[in-house]
Amino acid sequence: MNPMLQIWAGYTRLTRRWPGIAAVIPFIPVLALWTAVSEAGLFPRAFFPGPADVVRAFFTLTYKGILPDYLQDSLVRLATGAAVGMALGIPLGVLIGTSRWAHRICWPVLLFFQAIGDIAWLPILLIWFGFGLTTMTFVIVYTVLFPVVLNTVLGVESVPRDLSRAALSLGASRARVLWEVTLPGALPNIITGLRNGLGYGWRALIAVEMIVGTSGIGFMMFDARRAGSTVEILLGMIILGLLWYIVDAWILAPLERATGQRWGLVTS
Amino acid sequence: MKTLSLRNLGKTYFDPYAGAHVTAVHDVSLDVEPGEFISVVGPSGCGKTTILNMIAGFIPYSKGDILLDGKPVHGPGPERGVVFQSFALFPWKTVLDNVGFGPKMRGVPKAERDRIAREYLALAGLSHAAHRYPNELSGGMQQRVGVVRALANNPDVLLMDEPFASVDAQTRMTLQEELTRIWQERKPTVIFITHDVAEAVFLANRVVVLSKGRVLDEIAVDLPRPRVWDDLVKDDRFKQLSARVLQMVRAA
Repeated sequence: MNPMLQIWAGYTRLTRRWPGIAAVIPFIPVLALWTAVSEAGLFPRAFFPGPADVVRAFFTLTYKGILPDYLQDSLVRLATGAAVGMALGIPLGVLIGTSRWAHRICWPVLLFFQAIGDIAWLPILLIWFGFGLTTMTFVIVYTVLFPVVLNTVLGVESVPRDLSRAALSLGASRARVLWEVTLPGALPNIITGLRNGLGYGWRALIAVEMIVGTSGIGFMMFDARRAGSTVEILLGMIILGLLWYIVDAWILAPLERATGQRWGLVTS
Repeated sequence: MKTLSLRNLGKTYFDPYAGAHVTAVHDVSLDVEPGEFISVVGPSGCGKTTILNMIAGFIPYSKGDILLDGKPVHGPGPERGVVFQSFALFPWKTVLDNVGFGPKMRGVPKAERDRIAREYLALAGLSHAAHRYPNELSGGMQQRVGVVRALANNPDVLLMDEPFASVDAQTRMTLQEELTRIWQERKPTVIFITHDVAEAVFLANRVVVLSKGRVLDEIAVDLPRPRVWDDLVKDDRFKQLSARVLQMVRAA
C-alpha cells in the first residue's frame, strides 16, 4: 500500500482517539519554520526572537504575576461586556423579531449604528468618559451587541409560525409561548450571535486596551513596544490566538452544535 | 361535549400587493354535533384552510359567528385542538414532553401529565418512543405524536388541517385507519380538512364540499365501522360515495 495512505490512516485513527492532537499537529510546521528563521540568524535576536525566547518570557511574566493579572483583567472585561451585551441584545432581538412595528422602527437605526465600528466610537468616548473602564466597557458592549441582536432576530423569525400556533391552541399564554417556543427555537441562532460577538469583542478589547488601557493583554503588548520587547509582543499575540481557539473550539462551537443538531434545526 | 356552529361565516382581507380586498370565504354555515367526524373537501383556493384557521382562532373572521356551545370564540384556545400538516412538534422537547405540553399549560403536575402523555402514546402505539426527539422519528410517527398531543388536551373539537398530506401513501393509509380506530374509542368531535376525496369519505360521518368560499353540498357517509382500506376498496357504497364527491369537487 502507498506509504502516504498508511500515514493518513494512522493519523485518522490517532486523531479519532485523541481529537486534541488534530488541533496541535497543524502548528508543527509553523513552529518549525519560525524556529528555522530565527536560528538562521537572518535577523537580530532582539528583533526576531524564536519560540524558546517566547516560552521563557511566558514563564518570567507568569512568575512575576504580571501575565496572570493582565490576562484576568482582559477576560473580566470581555465577560462583563459580553454579559451586558447579551442582557441588552437578546431582549431587543426578541422584540424586533416578534413585533413588526419594532422591526420597522429599529432595523434601519440598527444597521446605521452597526456601520459605525467599535473603534470609530473611541474619539468621542475618550472625550465623554476619558481613559478608563467605562470607555472600554462601552466598546465591548457595543461590539457584542450587534451580532447578538441580529442573530436573535434571525432566530426568532426562523421559528416556524405553526409552532407558536400549536402552543397557543394547546393553551399557552403569549408569555408562555415566548418562553416555551420562541426562545428555545431561537437559541441556536442566539449562540451563533454570542460566538460572533465574543470573537469581535475579543479583538476590539485588545485594540482598546492598546489605546486606553492601563492593564490587560493589549496594554502589555503596546507597553512592550515602548520598551522594544519583541518577545512580549509575540507572546501577547500567541496568547490572543490560543485563548480564542480554546474558547471557540472547546466551548462555543460544541454548544452551538449541541443545540442546533440535537433538535434537527441545523442540517449538517 | 359541545356543539360547534358556524353562522354565515366570512373572511375578507386586504391584499397590499394587489391593492384590493379579497374574499376567501363568502358565507359558510355549518353545525357540528358532539362526537361527529366531518371532512371538508374542495379544490385548492376554496377557503377550507382559511375556515379552519378562523375556527382555531389563528386569524380573525370578517363576518358571521363561530359559536362553541353558543358562545362566540375569538383567538386560539385549548378547547379547540389543532393537528398541523407540518406536524408542528417542538423539536427541543421529547415526545413525552410534546404530548404533555397541553396539560403542562393547564398547570398539571409533572408526574400526572407524564401519566396522561403515556396513556395517549400507548393509544397511538408510541410507548417506545417516549424519550426520543421528534427529528429522530419518521414522518408518520411524528404525525401520530401530533394527533395524540392534541387529544391529550381533551379538546371539545379537534381541527385537522391536511394532517396526512406530507407522509407517503402507505403510511397515510395506516394513519387513516388508526385515526378511525382512535375516533371510535374516544369519539372526539373532528373537523378534517383535505383535498383527498377518498380520505374524506373514508374517515367521515359527513363530507362537506366547499367551492369558492361557499358550502356546495353535504353528503352523509353511512359506511359501517370499523373501516379498513382492504374492505372499503372493494365496497360498492364507498365507491359510489367517493365518485359522487369527486364529481362535485371537480365541478366546483
